[in-house]
Amino acid sequence: MSVWRLGWRVSQHEPRSFWSGYLLFVLFFTFPVLSGWLLGRGFTALSTGNNPQVYWIAGALVLCEVARMSTIHLGALMWTRAWVHMQSLLRANLLTAQVASGGPEAGQPVGSAGEAITHFRDDVEDVTMFIDGFVDISAGVVFTVLAGLVLGSVDSRAALVLLIPLIAVAMATRTLDSRIKRYRAADRIASEAVGGMLGDVMAAATTIKVNNAIDPTIAHMKKLVDARRHTAVRDRVLDESVWAFSQGAADVGLGLVLLTTASAMASGAFSVGELAIFTAYLGWLSFLPRMVGRMLARRKQVSVAFDRMRVLVADADVSNTVSSRDLPIGIRQTRTRPLPQRPERIPLDVLEVRGLSAKYSAGSGVHDISFRVRRGSFTVLTGPIGAGKSTLLRALLGLAQHASVTGDVAWNGQVLADRAAFLIPPNAAFLPQVPQLISDSVADNIALGIVDDEQLSLALELAAVRSDIDEMPDGVNTLIGPRGLRLSGGQRQRVATARALVHSPELVVLDDLSSALDIETELQLWSNLAAAGITVLAVSHRAIAFDRADQVLHLDAGRLA
Amino acid sequence: MATATSRWRALAALLRPDAGRWVGLGALIAVGSGLILTGPLIVRKIVDLATTGTTTSELARLAVLFLIVAIASQLINMAVAWMATVTAWHTTNEIRIRLAKHVLGLSHAFHRQHTPGELIQRVDGDVTSVSDFMGRVIPRAAGALFMVVGMIGVLIVVDWRLAVGATLYVGVAVGVVVRGRHRAVGESSDEMGSYARLYGGIEERLTAAEDLRSNGAGGHAMWRFVEDSADTMGSAVRREKAFLRMWWGVDGSVAAGSVVSLVVSAMLVSRGIITVGDAFLLFQYVLLLARPLEDMVDQLETVQKANGAMVRVIDLLAIEPDIRDDGATIPPSGPLSVEFSDVTYDYGDDQIVLQTINLNFAAGRSVGIVGRTGSGKTTLSRLVLRLIEATSGTLRLGGVPIDDIPFAELRRRVALIPQEVELLSGTVRDNVTLFDETPSDEAVETALRNAGLGALADGGIHRELGAGGAGLSAGEAQLLALARVWLRDPDIVVLDEATARIDPATEVLLEAAIARLTRGRTTLIIAHRLSTLRFVDEIVVLDHGRVIEHGDRANLADDIDSRFRHLLDLAHDEAPNEVPNEVAVP
Repeated sequence: MSVWRLGWRVSQHEPRSFWSGYLLFVLFFTFPVLSGWLLGRGFTALSTGNNPQVYWIAGALVLCEVARMSTIHLGALMWTRAWVHMQSLLRANLLTAQVASGGPEAGQPVGSAGEAITHFRDDVEDVTMFIDGFVDISAGVVFTVLAGLVLGSVDSRAALVLLIPLIAVAMATRTLDSRIKRYRAADRIASEAVGGMLGDVMAAATTIKVNNAIDPTIAHMKKLVDARRHTAVRDRVLDESVWAFSQGAADVGLGLVLLTTASAMASGAFSVGELAIFTAYLGWLSFLPRMVGRMLARRKQVSVAFDRMRVLVADADVSNTVSSRDLPIGIRQTRTRPLPQRPERIPLDVLEVRGLSAKYSAGSGVHDISFRVRRGSFTVLTGPIGAGKSTLLRALLGLAQHASVTGDVAWNGQVLADRAAFLIPPNAAFLPQVPQLISDSVADNIALGIVDDEQLSLALELAAVRSDIDEMPDGVNTLIGPRGLRLSGGQRQRVATARALVHSPELVVLDDLSSALDIETELQLWSNLAAAGITVLAVSHRAIAFDRADQVLHLDAGRLA
Repeated sequence: MATATSRWRALAALLRPDAGRWVGLGALIAVGSGLILTGPLIVRKIVDLATTGTTTSELARLAVLFLIVAIASQLINMAVAWMATVTAWHTTNEIRIRLAKHVLGLSHAFHRQHTPGELIQRVDGDVTSVSDFMGRVIPRAAGALFMVVGMIGVLIVVDWRLAVGATLYVGVAVGVVVRGRHRAVGESSDEMGSYARLYGGIEERLTAAEDLRSNGAGGHAMWRFVEDSADTMGSAVRREKAFLRMWWGVDGSVAAGSVVSLVVSAMLVSRGIITVGDAFLLFQYVLLLARPLEDMVDQLETVQKANGAMVRVIDLLAIEPDIRDDGATIPPSGPLSVEFSDVTYDYGDDQIVLQTINLNFAAGRSVGIVGRTGSGKTTLSRLVLRLIEATSGTLRLGGVPIDDIPFAELRRRVALIPQEVELLSGTVRDNVTLFDETPSDEAVETALRNAGLGALADGGIHRELGAGGAGLSAGEAQLLALARVWLRDPDIVVLDEATARIDPATEVLLEAAIARLTRGRTTLIIAHRLSTLRFVDEIVVLDHGRVIEHGDRANLADDIDSRFRHLLDLAHDEAPNEVPNEVAVP
């Protein structure tokens, strides 16, 4: 799909705000033509001493300006709405693809969230700027045609001379804009280096301090900020010169007009009023060429932006970035919280893994894994670091997205076609090795939707986190801070365990819990799960787990021993 | 928090090193403004000559002069932009370095309260707002000021009434912006806040994407996104309204200015007080004034952002480290004894973390510290590193009270191997030396080998390790922390849960490395896994901030009634003097 079609689809997400903003903005640009012409008439009247006519014209000017400003007032408000609607649509499509549990909308997960956020911010911005540029160009064309007609009728030779600086502006903007983009990218890389180093250093502040490494660290940082100074200066100076260039073009244009009309002025054929019209229009005239130059540069950027966003959505198909969806974010729109969509619960008798392999391009992975898990049993998976334990669990659950996965998983004998969609609560729940929480309350983090109090308190009990939560000032409503950082590592792990248990899943899959739990707590957890009769598949290295296990799977170098 | 006056003084102190550059820049800006005012004066001359009658060549000569002035003024503009940016970044880089150094010197408590993300924002983000302000807003504001003053000067010469009119006009327009700015800026920072929440929420959900997918929580995540997006819509519209209000003021006064100047000029021209050229000059000046006025609205956010940022920078510099480095006693060389006398630690409320601890570890002994989460083990280790200070009581290292030992000496002598090893994106070498360029490559490689990371040394220590330590397992990261300490050759080593994230096979490797490292040094080992403590000399059992057991490991392990023995049995992680069965697992 071409960027024009894609842009059109985005713009028509909320056509009402788009078109009203568009039309008002174009209308806004016709007023300067009128007011410039009125000013010219005013100066003619002034130079001929016709004061009453000057007063009439002044009155007309006032009306014209009021109309102009009312237009832009409405237009800007409409356009702001259209802008947010368009951006939200793109972001919603990207995010949906990233958080969908299987199904047609699910896209490939991204590597790092910090990097992916630039798609949501910068790429989305590039697309809206592209659409915005169209509005500017439409308005610029209307102004330029009307102003050209007026100027042509005044002095066609002087009007033609003006084309020289205007074309220069378009060409310069185009070249400079793509160079700005390059310089900006270089500056962003240098800034990321500074930010990345600072982030690392601040996260490791204690390490740096106790290792007596403050001075060498600062010396290293000095090198990075000095490198960034060069890219920053280049970026900002170029940006400034684009602005200065179009300002300068208006002044140079006036100089050229003065030069071409010198003889007409000397003979009195070119009046002061006519010079006033030229002067009034010049400031606005560089708008269109500037925008045309800018759009030529933006067209390239927007196709890059779509190309980058494509990676996040289903099948990496760019048209999925612009799919239309209901997004009630308008000021007067009402929103209702959607009910969670979960698969139907199918009670587990036996889970069979048949010849499951997952290969990463780097060569690591698991090979030809087969085992069975019976209802109510406790299966422990163990093996050294790098044996592929986490990979195996992810492949089983349909989460090993970047690996090539073969083999089957059967639920009560029936092979699962879309494991990612089926193996979620209430059928299965997964606790990763390093679980991620979000900055909500404890209850929200566990429920991730709606659950009743009874389920919640049972989950807290099972995960052995009840007493921790009870000690908090607001209990389950305690806010846990960004990424749950207000909790201790062990508490985070146990809250996430409660999250996995809250829907009483048929099967719970736990990646290494022992790293964050002391022995007594781990022991308590296994007892709780056994007492509740939950089917468990867990990674552990501890003897207390082996003792309780119905089967222990030893994984080594990607194969079951 | 600093007061307003002391803030300005602090700001001046930050700018002083580059004062010469700033003065030179000011002079260049003044010349640029002069040229901008000259253009309309030439046009006035042309208009006057055209109305009174002249030759084509005279007018053409003036038109060329106008062109030259227009081009020169743009060149100066560019020179100003370049010089201002260079100077601004020069000055602010100094501030960045000072801030980074200052923040690193602040206490552990400070770093616990502020996330790395926030500190990046305060050390780099805030300062970048300040440099954009210095590089862009200050030169433009100075240019506008010179221009307005010059303009009024020119108008006084033409006719004093015009000068008074222009002054009033500028005053009204500036007044509108100044009055509207608080509201507009408030709305705009609300908008920025709502976008920060939106992006923060998205980033968090992306980080937790696997957790959300595997819990079927996509719908929940999207619902939050829709709520956050609706917030951005509301705040964007409110911000636009507030800014439109100011636009009405600024654009309205520009429009009014041109209408009024037309009417007034007509009256003055017809009375012969000013010429048509003067009227045209006035008309051009009104157009010229529109630029900085509109700029003022555009730059309002930059100004306010920079203002807030500047205050935060200065406030951050004003935070004093709460642990002072004013000791001067050097403890005896060689392994050091560690002695706690009546040490109590609390967070300033009733929540006592450590209660009257009395412990004495002789130089060169290795001590295992066990206890449940929250029993105070980590606090004990932080005290030994002086990352925190005891609320009461004294801690002596080698007989010297810890607060009498200079920081540099303390950091050289006492090393920590923490539970969470922070890796830096950089080379293997950078990660071991922490950017110190003194140790030789050979020394770094030896340290890596001693820590059991021979493979990493063989791969070349100038390889990049990847952001966030990608490419190293948790176990390898622990070993790397060991290499860091190895390189420094300390006298006291503290291991805080250093084996927690390690599988048994790696643990065997790590234990061997630890055994090598701790030989001849006083060692405190905090561990969940009792197997890690097989070879220590003494054991301390902590419970709720108190020492409930302390003695030789062998004695405690043999004593059926000891708390330590109870823990051993519970884990049946190991029987006394036997190889733990965990290690037998492949």
